[in-house]
Amino acid sequence: MKPDKMEESIITSERYIKKIDSVSSDILRNVRINRGFILWMGFLSVALAATLFAYTIQLKEGLIVTGLRDVTSWGIYIANFVFFVATSLVGMLISSVLGLSGAKWIKPIARIAEIIAVAFAAVAGLVIISDMGRPDRLPNVFLFGRVQSPILWDVTVVTTYFFVSLLLWFLPMIPDLAISRSRISDRPKFLIKAYEILSFNWIDHKKQYEILNQAVRVLLILIIPLAFAIHTVTSWLFAVTPRGGWDSSIFGPYFISGAFVSGTSAVIIAMYFFRVNYKLQKYLTEDHFEKIARVLVLVSIIYIYFNINEFLVPGYKLKSIDAVHLKELFSGHYAPLFWSVQLLGLVIPVILLLFRRMRKPFPLLIISGFVLMASWLKRFIIVVPPQAHPFLPVQNVPAEWLVYKPTLIESAVTTASLILVIMIITILSKLFPVLPIQEIAEEETRAEAEQLNSN
Amino acid sequence: MKNILLVIITLQLFIFDLKSQEWIVPDDKKSKLSTFPFDDITRKAGEKLFSVNCMSCHGTPGKGNFLNLVPPPGDPATEKIQRNSDGEIFYKITTGRGQMPSFKSVLSSPEIWNIISYLRSFNKTYQQQVMAVITSSAYPGADIGLFLLFNSSDSTVILRASATKGNSTVPVTGAEVKLLIHRTFGLLTVDEAKTTDKNGMATFRLPDNLPGDTSGNIMVSARFVNEELFGSSTKDTSLCAGIKTIPVNLVADRAMWNNVRKAPVWLILTYSLGLLTALGFIFYVLMKLRDIFIVGETLSSEKPSKEK
Amino acid sequence: MSEKKNKKSSEDSKIDEALESSRRDFLKKVGIVGAASVTGAAAVYSGYRYEKSKSTGDTIKVLTEDNRLVEIPKDQVKDYKPGLKVLQTRGREGINGKRWVMVIDLSRCRNARKCVNACQGAHYLRPYEYHINTLVMQESVNTPAYYMPKTCQHCDNPPCVSVCPVDATFKRQDGIVLIDNERCIGCRFCMAACPYSARMFHWQEPLSKEADKGKEYNIELNVPQKKGTISKCLFSADRLREDVLPYCVSACPNGVFYFGDENENAVTNGTTKETVSLSELLEKNGAYRLMAELGTKPRVYYLPPKNRLFKFEKGAETDYKETT
Repeated sequence: MKPDKMEESIITSERYIKKIDSVSSDILRNVRINRGFILWMGFLSVALAATLFAYTIQLKEGLIVTGLRDVTSWGIYIANFVFFVATSLVGMLISSVLGLSGAKWIKPIARIAEIIAVAFAAVAGLVIISDMGRPDRLPNVFLFGRVQSPILWDVTVVTTYFFVSLLLWFLPMIPDLAISRSRISDRPKFLIKAYEILSFNWIDHKKQYEILNQAVRVLLILIIPLAFAIHTVTSWLFAVTPRGGWDSSIFGPYFISGAFVSGTSAVIIAMYFFRVNYKLQKYLTEDHFEKIARVLVLVSIIYIYFNINEFLVPGYKLKSIDAVHLKELFSGHYAPLFWSVQLLGLVIPVILLLFRRMRKPFPLLIISGFVLMASWLKRFIIVVPPQAHPFLPVQNVPAEWLVYKPTLIESAVTTASLILVIMIITILSKLFPVLPIQEIAEEETRAEAEQLNSN
Repeated sequence: MKNILLVIITLQLFIFDLKSQEWIVPDDKKSKLSTFPFDDITRKAGEKLFSVNCMSCHGTPGKGNFLNLVPPPGDPATEKIQRNSDGEIFYKITTGRGQMPSFKSVLSSPEIWNIISYLRSFNKTYQQQVMAVITSSAYPGADIGLFLLFNSSDSTVILRASATKGNSTVPVTGAEVKLLIHRTFGLLTVDEAKTTDKNGMATFRLPDNLPGDTSGNIMVSARFVNEELFGSSTKDTSLCAGIKTIPVNLVADRAMWNNVRKAPVWLILTYSLGLLTALGFIFYVLMKLRDIFIVGETLSSEKPSKEK
Repeated sequence: MSEKKNKKSSEDSKIDEALESSRRDFLKKVGIVGAASVTGAAAVYSGYRYEKSKSTGDTIKVLTEDNRLVEIPKDQVKDYKPGLKVLQTRGREGINGKRWVMVIDLSRCRNARKCVNACQGAHYLRPYEYHINTLVMQESVNTPAYYMPKTCQHCDNPPCVSVCPVDATFKRQDGIVLIDNERCIGCRFCMAACPYSARMFHWQEPLSKEADKGKEYNIELNVPQKKGTISKCLFSADRLREDVLPYCVSACPNGVFYFGDENENAVTNGTTKETVSLSELLEKNGAYRLMAELGTKPRVYYLPPKNRLFKFEKGAETDYKETT
């Protein structure tokens, strides 16, 4: 997309025009409202309605229908929120960090990463509302917002991050929309109309590329501090309290590094899904999986490093409040969960991924599944166990308050949020080109031209 | 021999134990009597007061449902408590001991007598003796007045008690007086009780860390210790005897925990600048999007002719 | 070639011109909108100022509860029964000139739990919902076990207030940390932040939902309690307004609680009603504050459980082991 002289000649070349035709036909094949899409969305809608019914019960009865009580007052809603924010961070990792450093192979994946970022960031805001005792008073946050509260910072940065991610998904897609608009004449009218409006008079002009590139570069830089901000602020929701297990000064980087792990694994799963279901083996090649597997190894190792910091240092000193908490994790009530998350979701995947065979698409999918699941459970471990052991003993309360067990309603509401994420991903990937047509065509043309020149 | 020794030791221990539990009332307090006769009205009032102040430990009289404390509070209906004289019970309620709190600032003398009146209703053999009306007042028929003066040079309060009868005023001598400071929820005793000298004067030393209001005023109250003898004459006077206290406003400073108007300046700046920068860039990008649109519009108006 | 170049540059200049003019246009529009909104805001504000000044035309002098003579607009003089607005305003301001402080004498507490009952009665709480709770404390096997009444510590550096996103929990000038159940959004961040576990949440409809119907909400009593919001110890702010000791303090049969005004350096025992010097009481008994190392600066002081006059009951120790 960089309009230097060679670029220009590529864009105007015959070969490029042909390339656009072939690539767009491959990718636009999936852009259609077919029976599969309708059935799938119908199924999701029914499931969503069922789970939202659970939420209406919670609205009516209060949070008593959850497993939350005065001892553990934040549960899977908050854990899920942290997970969503974490996963959405991958948009920044792939597009900005890798993209700006010049890694060309991320081009076909960047949009998938942005779709995931947009979907998870959008639903994260809703998840936090489901945890509120008085969701009807949400406007109070804007009416009486206190600049000192990390919640206010969180609301601010999550919204901003969502919009910037949305722009980062949308802006690079404008050329594709212009390309597609003449090629989807057999699709529903509203879709054609939408493409026409959203392509913003794109006529493939050099000047337009110039402006677009400027805008995208600003976004790519802007999103780096924003992404760091959203997850650091989310970690501060815990780190600003004096509780054992939360009172940690490395919570910011600990969360960020963990976010890259969960986000990367989510992207891998999405990649595999699109590769197989959308028949995009030609564009999402084994090489792409190989490369992103290496990214996963790298971010996992960083995360392991922060895990060691987070648990070894307090475990070494065993200050009274940390001692109780760590004992629960290492050998107590939460030990089975803790160790399976750390081993099955982090250490063993890294070891397996050292072998080339494991970096093939299907084994990588399975490993990523484990990593993603463990990422969710890790958020549970971060959020829930430290609350069970406050500084002062918990006494004279019903025995069932002492150990938090999520209820069916809670799980249903959490499932609702996951369904919403899947719905958003489905819509974004089914109604719009899931891979960047223009960029792929350009890249392939250039590669071929280079090959010709060298010959 | 061994057995006898054991018995002696046990007995001794027992006696020792009893002794340690014994509650000795000074002789002059033992003979104190109520100034009014007990009747149904006093018993009713006493029952109410008992249920509020005493029942939580002593239980309901006659039921033996007192708390299991060491030493045991005991059931007031039993012989153990009933064998006390009225004066002894009055003394014990007033002063308290160990777990039993003092009620001298909670209950007035008549109220304590009402409680005793209620307690005695559980004693069939009890015969009340009423104290004879005081005729031996030191200054019969006189108006007794108290006057306070603050001497700032050595921070003392000088009290003068005088009795006025007709036109003649004489100093009240040999009367025990106390000085109290008004605080939000009660009266704070300062210095010890003093006895008036031959001029009817007594001098109290004030602690030097006594906070007053913003101009140093404190409300001071003087009373006779033996109110039966001198009447419940009190004197409330505002004296400029305290430290000038400017109340500390706990929410004056900027702080993380204060309301949004008193947030730390650096925090407000960081937040707003961060937000404005991000919004500024987003605005810039949206403007660029607009530019793309305009470029397309400008050029496409001539392009169709080209294509044709 | 040069022709091409010329053509291109003419096209470029055309684009530049279009962008430039549209930008000017846009800025103009923004300018107009901005100016209009500024003028509008100014008009609204001056109108507000006028309304405000209008109501201060006729004034009257009144003596406030804290003995200040103030001048207030005549049309604002209302009957004594304070409405929601008054309750909210004065509740947020606090009582001028006071700095409330509580002293808890652990050597006298024998777990009668009368404080708990009185508090739950006053605030319409369920038996397991606490503003004050008495805990069995034991640091280690060899240190003594003792009972500890635990209220909100009304910290001078309250972590709970810092994190509140909507100013629903706040600190007043007299030191009390209160909760506005009319504003609380129920995020429970304050519960997470409080190291003393002093806060409770209304997970369900409060106990006296029916009885409270139509009652004006009193921020100083947290009654009527509201579902989905936080509640906690308020130092009985409603009673303090009338110079009466808090519910728990006056309910204790054992003289555990002292309460008073730090500005006056005096506290009054709730059981014996004896007033003593605060500084002397703290000094003579080696007073301490809970978890001072956290820097929360509590307004509640504890006197250590020394020279206790009763036996610690054994049953309570198992309770401790069970729940810690």
